[in-house]
Amino acid sequence: MDLTEHPIMLTLQDAISGDGFLAGVTLFGRALVRKEDDGKWWMYGVRPAAIAESGNTIDETFLRFRNRYKEVLFDIAQDNNKFEDFKTEVERFFNEPDEEDERLWNNALKAIRSSKIAPPEPFAQLPRESPESKPSKITIERLDVEGKRFKSSDNATDIYALPNAA
Amino acid sequence: MSASAPYANVLRMLEKCAPGSTVRLANHSRVITFNRKVYPSLPKFDDIEVGHIRKMVRFLGIDKECAKKHGVI
Repeated sequence: MDLTEHPIMLTLQDAISGDGFLAGVTLFGRALVRKEDDGKWWMYGVRPAAIAESGNTIDETFLRFRNRYKEVLFDIAQDNNKFEDFKTEVERFFNEPDEEDERLWNNALKAIRSSKIAPPEPFAQLPRESPESKPSKITIERLDVEGKRFKSSDNATDIYALPNAA
Repeated sequence: MSASAPYANVLRMLEKCAPGSTVRLANHSRVITFNRKVYPSLPKFDDIEVGHIRKMVRFLGIDKECAKKHGVI
């Protein structure tokens, strides 16, 4: 049995400038990757759901997806002058679901965990993460506040990973 | 099935299959609203890859058969 829907876990961190504020946005997201009839890999957002991108390799697809995600944050910052409004809109972007892709993501995870299916190349080389210890969520934090302390431990590398089989 | 569709055809599909939908140009993307949901990432190109349209149709709950009839997915 082949796995055609590949469940992906995303970690993305951005600093977004708005009109009069600076926001730190950290995403622990979910996406589905599959090869479509056009011969390209497509990454379809699950959390957030309202986004998709394509590429000739899965690395290229991730980089294009990552860039489009950042552009959505830029657009939301441009459309919302107050930090609170920016935060509300980014949370809406993250929380509005695509039930079909969410179901496919969960089914693909079950398939991996049933041990019947090993991820094919190039997915076999991706890092593994636990969806249970890294649940999907987004945090939006105002950074330009007096007394804010910054720590190097807050930094997060851009990662796309497969859920582990355990 | 072509791998992309002219934006004009996507607009026509939205008019027929998603009555009441709105399209707004943001700085980087087109923002489509329908069914009280917002799709903020449709590319601003003249030709849109079908994967983007397919995702938008699914996310916004647009009738897939109607969208197919308009040849955009």
